[in-house]
Amino acid sequence: MTNETKECASCNKTPKWKQDFPIEWEGDHYVTRREMVKFMTLGSLLLAGANWIAAIAGQLLHRGSKAERDIGAVSALERTGSLLFRYPTDQDPCIAVRTPDGKLVAYSQVCTHLSCAVVYDKADNALVCPCHHGVFNIYEGSPVAGPPTRPLPRIKLEQRGDRLFATELEA
Amino acid sequence: MSVRTQGTTLFTAILILVGTTVVVQLWLLTVSTEALLIGQVKTLVPAAVGSSVLLLINACLLRYVSRFDRDVERE
Repeated sequence: MTNETKECASCNKTPKWKQDFPIEWEGDHYVTRREMVKFMTLGSLLLAGANWIAAIAGQLLHRGSKAERDIGAVSALERTGSLLFRYPTDQDPCIAVRTPDGKLVAYSQVCTHLSCAVVYDKADNALVCPCHHGVFNIYEGSPVAGPPTRPLPRIKLEQRGDRLFATELEA
Repeated sequence: MSVRTQGTTLFTAILILVGTTVVVQLWLLTVSTEALLIGQVKTLVPAAVGSSVLLLINACLLRYVSRFDRDVERE
């Protein structure tokens, strides 16, 4: 008697797989679509959150991009034709150039292709990346030859007496 | 057409719509990351706002799905 009761109890017990997924075959499509909508909305929430994190990080990282910095003497620039400096932080190499028509321009020295340092080519009056022969226009920083597709970030300069000041990073 | 068949068709359409918005959100995140790396800060906030609007649309669609289920269960 006791054995029979035990057997019956095990017969009526719902199998474990059915406890985990209690969906009948005909309702399968209906449920999976609904669950998928929930899952994708959760993904959407995560993506929107990641976008806001990027926006906040951008504001925090570029907060110092309007700080003024003394980058050197004008006389040093006149001697060599170009002047290397760091702006807005010590990890951001830049280059200031006096063009043949007397204009003063400055750009980030990091090539927008693969981050090599660009140099001033006096003969061609252009900024040249020696790694892959990328060429940038000296007046606008826009790419004119080679693999780079994005312009160099420009830096606003101010001349006060013999000193040069970087005042703003223009993306 | 039975309610269940209608529901399946409706959920398929909603699923496609939600999938499309998620793909657009992924594209926005890619653009934001690239803009962040090259220092184009002006792009970041509009991209985040756009992504939030898409999230709102998805949330509304999910709410509609939940209400639809509740109505079906009541019937």
